[in-house]
Amino acid sequence: MPSGTIPILKIGSTLLATIQIDLHDTVVDAFQNDVLEEIEKTAASGLIIDISALEAVDSYVARMLANTGKMAKLMGAETVIVGMRPAVAATLVRMGYFMSGIRTALSLQEGLEIQDNRSKDRNAE
Amino acid sequence: MELGIQPDYMKVLKLDDEECRRRLEFFELTDEDFQRLTSLRSFAERWTQEITEGLYELIMKHAESRSFFPDDATLTRVKRLQNAYFLHLFSGTYDLNYLRDRLRVGSAHERIGMPPKLYLGAYRRYLALIHEKLRNHFKGNEAEAVKAIETIRKIIFFDMALAIDTYIAAYLETMTRHQAAIRELSTPVIKVYDRILLLPIVGTVDTQRANQIMETVLVQVVEQQAKVIIIDIAGVPVVDTKVADHILQTTAAVRLLGAQTVLTGISASVARTVVQLGVELTQVDTRAKLSEGIELALSLVGKKISSKSKSGVENED
Repeated sequence: MPSGTIPILKIGSTLLATIQIDLHDTVVDAFQNDVLEEIEKTAASGLIIDISALEAVDSYVARMLANTGKMAKLMGAETVIVGMRPAVAATLVRMGYFMSGIRTALSLQEGLEIQDNRSKDRNAE
Repeated sequence: MELGIQPDYMKVLKLDDEECRRRLEFFELTDEDFQRLTSLRSFAERWTQEITEGLYELIMKHAESRSFFPDDATLTRVKRLQNAYFLHLFSGTYDLNYLRDRLRVGSAHERIGMPPKLYLGAYRRYLALIHEKLRNHFKGNEAEAVKAIETIRKIIFFDMALAIDTYIAAYLETMTRHQAAIRELSTPVIKVYDRILLLPIVGTVDTQRANQIMETVLVQVVEQQAKVIIIDIAGVPVVDTKVADHILQTTAAVRLLGAQTVLTGISASVARTVVQLGVELTQVDTRAKLSEGIELALSLVGKKISSKSKSGVENED
């Protein structure tokens, strides 16, 4: 059941989810479902999660985001988390949560470039 | 004669009614002492001039202490203040106003740079002079003289404690200001190339500084949209597990933002300790020299330093 709280757009073969609201546990659960269903539906090969509007991320949300990335990867979509704020990064690291295995980028622009290069590489193979 | 902005030492030293009571209690100043002091008021008025003269005789005899009183006008003024101070000892009320007045005396001494050794040394003479006068005053009544001396000793030690507390508070205040200045200077983030930042760390890294370094690094990386930040630790004297841990945290946080860290300035001894301590720095790109770090950083943004073909020889053929 797509909740639709967080819009997920498709650009080429990449899905873009921009998180504009505070992520409560229920919202983040619904978001994970939506993303995975969209990947299944569109067969997207890339996923960008833009969290530049998030002022705080707790460990649950961080884990959910990282897990979403891992699940997306199992379905063939590379995830890039973009725009994390300094305070958020500092908090996560101090909690010992390093989000290893997840790609990150400074801005949406760079996230798109990474996805672009990835699809080029894939096509070249 | 109050110059400049003085910190409110009453607040700094947390002096309230409760603390005042505790202090009086610890110096064993009781109502009996207060009554005795009040009853000695006429004694004080009779002898204050002479006692002050005796005190300044000592002060003026030594060049070091004399230097604080450059002219007669100053000397006359401080003697007058000294008399007022002495009479205040016998006022009978030892409340917050009394404390405030004593702190003012302490901070005045600190401000002119009078070292505690001179302050306390002169006090010794002061006490001796008072004792002598008291013994004469109570001639034939040894017991009463002893009691009076003890009371005076209590109130004077009470005063000295306040003065010394002020000295220490003033020094701490200066130190805090210096620390703030050093902190500001301690994390200079330099842009070495488009999207490459450099942070040279010089000096000891404690937790507070490490936190500040992380904060500055993260904010700068985002603000300047840097791809690579080079952290040079050549100026850090000791790299222990704690420092290494701070560096790892900063590196991890930088990665979360979508940038990379290059760690340079790793000397042989640092490499040795890090491995011996069992610290894993393998997830971080490290280089011995800053120049190598810059080369690595450039390659990470897709640039390369190359030698110019021999200059000035283009037309040789």
